[in-house]
Amino acid sequence: MNRRPHLSREAWIGLALAGSYLLFTAVFWAYPFFWLAKLSVTQWRFFDTPVFTGPRNLLLTLRDPMFLQALWNVLRFLLLYVPLAFVGALVVAFGLQHVGRGKAFIALCFLLSNVSSGVAMALVFTKIFSATGPLNRLLFDWAGIAIPWTTDPQLAMLAIALVVAWKFVGYYGLILYSGLLTIPKELYDAARLDHAGPLTRLFRITLPLLNPQLMMVLVFAILVSFGLFTEPFLITGGGPADSTVTPQMMIYETAFRRLQPSHAAMMSILVSAATYLLIVVARRLFERKVTLA
Amino acid sequence: MIARRALLAGALASGLSLLGGCGPSRRVRPADRIRLWVAPNEAEEGFWKIAVARWNAARRGLPVQFTTIPTAGSSEDTVLSALVAGTEPDLCTNVFAGFAVQLAALGQVVNLAAMPGYAELVARRHMQAILPGWTQEGMVAALPIYSSPTLLWWRADLLAANGLSAPPRRYDEVYALCARYGRPGQRYGMQVVSGRSWADRWFDFISLYYAASKGQPYLQGRHALYNNAAGREVAGFIDRMFRQRWTALDFDAEEPLVSGLAAGAVRGPWDVERFAKLYPETLDRIVVGPMIAEAPGPGPASTFSDSKGVVVFKTSRVTAAAFDFLAWVLGDEDLNLLWLRRTGLSPARGDLLQNPRFADYYRTNKIAAAYAAHVASAKPPALSEYSIDIQKIMTAQLVEPLMTGRRDPAAALAEAVARTDRLLEAQA
Repeated sequence: MNRRPHLSREAWIGLALAGSYLLFTAVFWAYPFFWLAKLSVTQWRFFDTPVFTGPRNLLLTLRDPMFLQALWNVLRFLLLYVPLAFVGALVVAFGLQHVGRGKAFIALCFLLSNVSSGVAMALVFTKIFSATGPLNRLLFDWAGIAIPWTTDPQLAMLAIALVVAWKFVGYYGLILYSGLLTIPKELYDAARLDHAGPLTRLFRITLPLLNPQLMMVLVFAILVSFGLFTEPFLITGGGPADSTVTPQMMIYETAFRRLQPSHAAMMSILVSAATYLLIVVARRLFERKVTLA
Repeated sequence: MIARRALLAGALASGLSLLGGCGPSRRVRPADRIRLWVAPNEAEEGFWKIAVARWNAARRGLPVQFTTIPTAGSSEDTVLSALVAGTEPDLCTNVFAGFAVQLAALGQVVNLAAMPGYAELVARRHMQAILPGWTQEGMVAALPIYSSPTLLWWRADLLAANGLSAPPRRYDEVYALCARYGRPGQRYGMQVVSGRSWADRWFDFISLYYAASKGQPYLQGRHALYNNAAGREVAGFIDRMFRQRWTALDFDAEEPLVSGLAAGAVRGPWDVERFAKLYPETLDRIVVGPMIAEAPGPGPASTFSDSKGVVVFKTSRVTAAAFDFLAWVLGDEDLNLLWLRRTGLSPARGDLLQNPRFADYYRTNKIAAAYAAHVASAKPPALSEYSIDIQKIMTAQLVEPLMTGRRDPAAALAEAVARTDRLLEAQA
């Protein structure tokens, strides 16, 4: 006589926990993923049945000058954003090292910009950067000049990079600060005995030993760059001359304004691939194994 | 152990049923009511509350149940999501002409021109002059509820101080005003460009183009038409205003009419309520003028009409009853007056200033009367599925190069039109 296998109490609990996770993943990750993959090789406009079109969406996307411009804009943004974010985050991290009392409060203050509403922030910066805004008024009164922050194709991306850097610098600074805490003080003491100056200590000890945290910040910066939407959407609307259009804006407008979700699906796959590729390249180029043994 | 198994099975079943509930419901919906979505704002909601109550009390047809469009973002996104999920209502208001065309192209809305009683409604509401702008190849995807012409607001005190007793109608009057009033970097004669978004072109280039061309379309089929005399006139005006520094690149920092940063700016009737709440003293000093042109003709100048309409979805089981309700609401003069009083937006009818029913309202609301005078001559945007791309090209290839002086007007117009034609050809 066959008997059903008896499952222990732990097995049931494990099954339930794993099952709920698998169910969640299947519904909220696997299903959308496969639907996206299907959409990208079909023609579908929300209400009809998807029709297989093979590489049509891929070719359409690769030939779309606006999409290529959006990808190029991400690289332009990275070139401006990464130095701003790294320098700002290092200043925050080193600054925190020298704070005595109220360190937690100051750290929280830096995080505030990170958790505040992107929409509200974008609206505030729109006013600050306006041709008739307070910044330009000040410059005009002092030096008789006005800077077209958001209306010049070259400067508009810098304005966006400044806003996004302001938002993330505190967060990145805390990551770097956690790395600084792990570096043994003895290393600096030994370096001082060898007459190493502050710059030597920075470039020979601090930055190499911060490599894991710096890489983490770099990866986050790349993810932020490819996911950029709110700031350019609200501050510049993608202009001037499409110089601040981002892939996320393209995907949103293509899917929900132009009503071409299949085309948008292919765009999102290509953007994911580009993000992954850039992260792999960045890790290959800059990641170092750090051991304190 | 059995209890635990039962508990786990129960939890799993409830989870699955919960997830099942997220899917579209395909069950037969009760056909004994008309479901209506209205714009999510207090004024319009207040109107529909009264209108629907009157309809239901009179028992003229199927009862109506209304709710505001359940949106946190744009109405278009919500309508689209509802259509995909199968939870759309029978009727939906707050639909702009371009979105109605998209819905029609996707086969989601009824051709209202083919509904019984349509011709009677058009005649009763005096919409003959308005509807051509909403008709594409004989199809009317949405019926306009209101029409909000874009007009120029001027600070009467600043006009008077600079030698103008009435709002300017011609470019040369604006140039003269700017030359006297403008101080580069400090104050400007007029806000010319409304913003960066593709939709902002309705309130600058397209408004000015309609005024210059006396209401001629800027798009026909697969061709952009604005590289013509009217287009050159408008492009020349924009170019001169920026080259002379008589206008700023943007006016995002503040409301320019309040501080006098600009003496004039394009505003719609929806701004009356905003100014009444926030800047009542400025509103008292505002005088409304027509959209300017180089050589305006007699009578109300043409301009852009920011209108919203109502659609009937094809999936509705009660299309005829829904249209009956619509015809009753839109055709009833008392309700049109109620709409006007509640929202301050002119109903899309051509007899607003001639009809004695509205006379009292307009006698006491001068700004509203100025807008009403332009309802018949105001034109909606081109009926195109590709409104966004067309206006993005207009922004990037025409308006922005004129702002920065990167291109001369003729070259900017030629490039914008050529790119639009290429886009429309490729899409076709």
